[in-house]
Amino acid sequence: MTRRTFWGFTIPSVIIMLVLMVVPLVTTIWLSFNELFLRDINNPTWIGFDNYREVLGDEEFWAAVRFTLLFVAVTVPINMIFGLGVALLLDKVGRGRSIYLAALLLPFIVTPVVGTLIYKDLFDRGGLLAWLWEVATDEPFLITSGNVKWLIIVQAIWHVMPFAMITFFAGLQTLPEDRVEAASIDGAGYWRQLWHVTLPHLRVLILFVALISIMDAYRVYDSVFVFAGDRFTDAHTLQVYTVEVAVDPQIGRVGKGNAIGVLNVIGIFVVLIPFLVISYRDQIRERT
Amino acid sequence: MADVRLDKINKIYPNGFHAVHDLSLELTDGEFLVLVGPSGCGKSTALRMIAGLEEISGGDLYVGDRRVNDVQPRDRDIAMVFQNYALYPQMSVRDNIGFPLRLKKVATDSRLEQVDNAAGILELMEQLDKKPATLSGGQRQRVAMGRAIVRRPSAFLMDEPLSNLDAKLRVQMRAEIASIQRDLGVTTFYVTHDQVEAMTMGDRVAVIKDGYLQQVDDPETLYANPANVFVAAFIGSPSMNLVEGTLTQDGDQWSVELGDQTLRLDESVLANRPALAAHVNERLVVGFRPEDLEDAAVRSDHPADQRLRTTVDVREALGAETLIHFGINAPAVDSGDPDALDELGDSAVARITGRFSPRTQARVGDAIEVAVDCSAMHFFDRSSHLAIT
Ligand SMILES: Nc1ncnc2c1ncn2[C@@H]1O[C@H](COP(=O)(O)OP(=O)(O)OP(=O)(O)O)[C@@H](O)[C@H]1O
Ligand SMILES: [Mg+2]
Repeated sequence: MTRRTFWGFTIPSVIIMLVLMVVPLVTTIWLSFNELFLRDINNPTWIGFDNYREVLGDEEFWAAVRFTLLFVAVTVPINMIFGLGVALLLDKVGRGRSIYLAALLLPFIVTPVVGTLIYKDLFDRGGLLAWLWEVATDEPFLITSGNVKWLIIVQAIWHVMPFAMITFFAGLQTLPEDRVEAASIDGAGYWRQLWHVTLPHLRVLILFVALISIMDAYRVYDSVFVFAGDRFTDAHTLQVYTVEVAVDPQIGRVGKGNAIGVLNVIGIFVVLIPFLVISYRDQIRERT
Repeated sequence: MADVRLDKINKIYPNGFHAVHDLSLELTDGEFLVLVGPSGCGKSTALRMIAGLEEISGGDLYVGDRRVNDVQPRDRDIAMVFQNYALYPQMSVRDNIGFPLRLKKVATDSRLEQVDNAAGILELMEQLDKKPATLSGGQRQRVAMGRAIVRRPSAFLMDEPLSNLDAKLRVQMRAEIASIQRDLGVTTFYVTHDQVEAMTMGDRVAVIKDGYLQQVDDPETLYANPANVFVAAFIGSPSMNLVEGTLTQDGDQWSVELGDQTLRLDESVLANRPALAAHVNERLVVGFRPEDLEDAAVRSDHPADQRLRTTVDVREALGAETLIHFGINAPAVDSGDPDALDELGDSAVARITGRFSPRTQARVGDAIEVAVDCSAMHFFDRSSHLAIT
């Protein structure tokens, strides 16, 4: 390949990367060192690390960090285990597979905000689950700061699980049957087949789903916005907190918001490091 | 190690397809039995029923004295070698071979020793730490063999284990598998569609077609005395020539008429086939192997009344022999082997193949005389296709 064709192929994507990623990132970092208000967007003032100091001393920020991490730590494993379980069951279904598949995918297809609203309706006054609760306990069901976090988490599982399910299901379709049969003759029962044949086959997909799910869960916004709104600031995630700080029409503090954004990026990197290391090692191993 | 016995085994797939009909076979302890037949005839189905991977729809299966119809694959004490090896890609060769032992909770020391042992037999010592993906096809097949060997099972089942290897390696592995089996003395049920594999490896060969067992015999008998037209055509390469002919008698002079030509039969032919005399003046299927034909110019002492006169259509010089193809004016017979090349052209002219000495001077277009060794001729009933002996 000549130097010219090399640049010919790479330059378009390099330009797109620069414009869409590097420029905004640098701007974000620069803005995070400035005091800048939304209502006076053209007058940034350099204030060094003041924004960072303020954010790190802000109890609301730490509450958001705690809930975001809780959200990731609970929803991602449950989604993946559930998704795998459902995929394994679906793989056993002979007739009417596509009907089950479509039904299982439904939550994932619904627009997040709409999905959350429908789900929230169940718990509002007159909602089915609220009514059942009332019948069972003789007390009205109320969304409280105590249970709102769990409502958000359950909603996320309902909504996102199909992603893991469909990915694993696709992976199962490529599992060579004779390998499973060999294991069954070699003496493996169902669980050992799962452990020694099926899971190793899905390994790359498991990593992939974990990676995507963590990033996705880390950035959760819609459902929190709908459920917690302004009432339960305790259940705010980092995204909601950022938006609150940055784009509130009255106090909107763009500089501080960008500082949170930078911290977010650093945070997600830290969370993902183990996965990046594992997939990097896999790549290297595959090549040797 | 044990006998394996199939007693009227049937397989009907859920879609209603009856793939195996009343298959009865008995493998004696230590025997190497090859099941051979054309593609889609139910070989894998039969094997998979023995392995327990496919439910048995009817009949009884015994390993040793135990009826195992309803026994889980892992409890049948059999090992299987798959066509595509079916190795565990994430495990090293050592772990692949040792996997069945690990599942049996064999102590690590003893397991590693047995793996080394198997690897020694299969010449895999150098490869033990590699992953299957980095091995050649032949090496992978050995690993699959190793995984079967370490278990010391009652029986080996092998489903076309060599069909993914190139021709040369196949010949080599063929001999190796046969010799390993002999050394270990494990009862082996081997499936292939390659009749050469069947003939060279099997103590006995079972020929199956469309789910029906045709004949079980040792290779020599199968070759010399095929029970029907299908077996006659399927065993041997190039295939036996099969044409319609009429048996005639004039005093004690017997002949067979093939179209407009007549071949005299020696008395011994009728003496060796007592049932044949009853078929006089009947149209029969007559078979003669390519190796029983020779260029009459090479074998000049051959009787003139045991020769076919024809013209050479195709000549294939293979070095050690020369294949000569020609036609005779007699109806061709369909053996029922779906893998056989379709007889070209009109079926009133049978295509015949002769396996001549390389000394033959016959060239395409030459008019030649073909010496036929009539003592090796085969006769079959025209409607039942069964051998007349
Ligand atoms: N799951 C199934 N359902 C219905 N029919 C099947 C099924 N599996 C195989 N068959 C049919 O049963 C017949 C025998 O199949 P089998 O796989 O045993 O053939 P085979 O002799 O092993 O052929 P090959 O040499 O091509 O491997 C075939 O006609 C096939 O179409
Ligand atoms: Mg097969």
